[in-house]
Amino acid sequence: MVKAERKPIEEIKDAINGYKRVLITGCGGCVSVCLAGGQREVNELKALLNVHLKKDNIPKELDGYTMERQCNDEFLKELDSTIDQYDCVISMACGAGVQNMATKFPQIPVFPALNTVSIGIDKDIGMYEEKCRACGNCVLGYTGGICPVTRCSKGLFNGPCGGTNNECCEISQEVPCAWLEIFHRLKEQDRLDDIKKIHAPMEWQNQAPRTIIQESYEKRYSV
Amino acid sequence: MDFSNTFFWTFAYDFIRGPMVWIAFIVFFGGTIFQIFSLLSLTKEQTISKLTPGPGRFIPKRADNENKKDWVMWLKLSIAGVNPFMTIVSSVFHVLLIIMPIFVLGHNILLDNSFGLSIISLSEGVSDFLTIIVIVCAGIFLYRRLFVDRVKAITTWSDYLFLFLAAAPFVTGFLAYHQVFENYRLIISLHILSGELMLMAVPFTKFVHMIYLVIFRFTIVSEYSLGRGNRTW
Amino acid sequence: MFGKKSTAGVNTKEVKAILDEKKTKMKLSLKACAHCTLCAESCFLFMGRNKDPKYMPSYKFLNSVGVLYKKKGNVDLLDLGEMRDLVWERCVLCTRCYCPVGVDIPEMIALARRVCRSQGVYPQYERD
Repeated sequence: MVKAERKPIEEIKDAINGYKRVLITGCGGCVSVCLAGGQREVNELKALLNVHLKKDNIPKELDGYTMERQCNDEFLKELDSTIDQYDCVISMACGAGVQNMATKFPQIPVFPALNTVSIGIDKDIGMYEEKCRACGNCVLGYTGGICPVTRCSKGLFNGPCGGTNNECCEISQEVPCAWLEIFHRLKEQDRLDDIKKIHAPMEWQNQAPRTIIQESYEKRYSV
Repeated sequence: MDFSNTFFWTFAYDFIRGPMVWIAFIVFFGGTIFQIFSLLSLTKEQTISKLTPGPGRFIPKRADNENKKDWVMWLKLSIAGVNPFMTIVSSVFHVLLIIMPIFVLGHNILLDNSFGLSIISLSEGVSDFLTIIVIVCAGIFLYRRLFVDRVKAITTWSDYLFLFLAAAPFVTGFLAYHQVFENYRLIISLHILSGELMLMAVPFTKFVHMIYLVIFRFTIVSEYSLGRGNRTW
Repeated sequence: MFGKKSTAGVNTKEVKAILDEKKTKMKLSLKACAHCTLCAESCFLFMGRNKDPKYMPSYKFLNSVGVLYKKKGNVDLLDLGEMRDLVWERCVLCTRCYCPVGVDIPEMIALARRVCRSQGVYPQYERD
């Protein structure tokens, strides 16, 4: 599912500067599962903002509401009757949900509380790893289930560059060479012919796959 | 009462006071150990994933002062903050449920007489007061089961039965101590019997939540676990 | 109780096979549930639907998986239809429900969904 993490509190606080009645909306979809924007996080953000605002002596009214999904208009209808009571909305959904909310309620500013990072997997509780960049042209069938867009730093589509160093990528010893892994995987399945075909490359930036750890779990994974 | 009736009651009284106590404790301890094993066998140990930092492998974007854990807020957002009344009533009830049988004077006199074990005891006035508190808590639970909509929706006959079973030793103990009824022997037999039944019911009925709560909270990892659990289902 | 329970339209053998896979864990969880309702506030749907008891996580699993195990898999399509509403419309499997005793609620809902799917009972996505 989509994995996201919360923005620093200062950024969120600055965004709602000047607005008195704020609605914090959560989403029961992907961001709930990755512990970033569900009902519990809405309550946490509300409490945290209240603490910060009290310290700065700024009076604001904060309310929280969590709907099933923000990427679907059906569920945004639940806010129709109450949205006009607010001056702005902080949306704790992924980028898609924020945009959907902003489109549905164009008269009210909608601020994102999360940075949507990627489509990823659940590695362990609180730890989520990027696996997919949603390029729209999945070649996993040819590469034995290892994504060259996400895992190869250069996003190469037709085999390793000359920089493979000690089975690792030339950018760092901690990043394994994706194409070496693809080679091993396909060899095991006896499908090396698949990578002998030439595929057109895709244009990408930011190649190294990113992992998120939610704040309360940083200690657990010895960061 | 004719001979056979007296004989039956004497036999019953001696049985409840004697062998039954042993049976109850054996079933309790044996059953508990068995249930702990059966629960833990459903889980497996899982090493906590280690994160090796590297380019693109980690996204820390939080300012330093955000890493300090705010305990007050954590408490407010935990189950204690969301249902403070139930948390307090439940905690008081359960703590007293376990502590009172161990430290009440009546029990410890028996232990001293039988085994020479001398455990520190509560004064009788304090035990009396605490018993009333337990009965009040049980009463609150009963009220919830009968009148609070959301609890009524999932209540079954077994909930009432087990609530009575849990409260019975305290009610009968209170009645017996104050000698409210003339037939002391009957009330004290009921007290002993209900205590034994409750002990035997712990591993095999919903009372097992007593053991599981501790195990789950401290070993199985989840959003709400305490400490560093490292088991999963 | 008297007479055979109707199992119209359902392949009970399949259902029993699925239920048997997780029998130990499910039965233990069903027994350990103390019916305390403290899980209610952790479900955002419960909070958003005026605290309707039918949205409580414990209500959801007791009336889906609980019913399946109590009837030992001898359910008919009507039962599964009721379960469909419970596990697909009243739950999004956001996995954030909390149980003080530690019952794994999302897994029970997922199992109920699996049983329904095996008998061709699916959520209704197209509605007026």
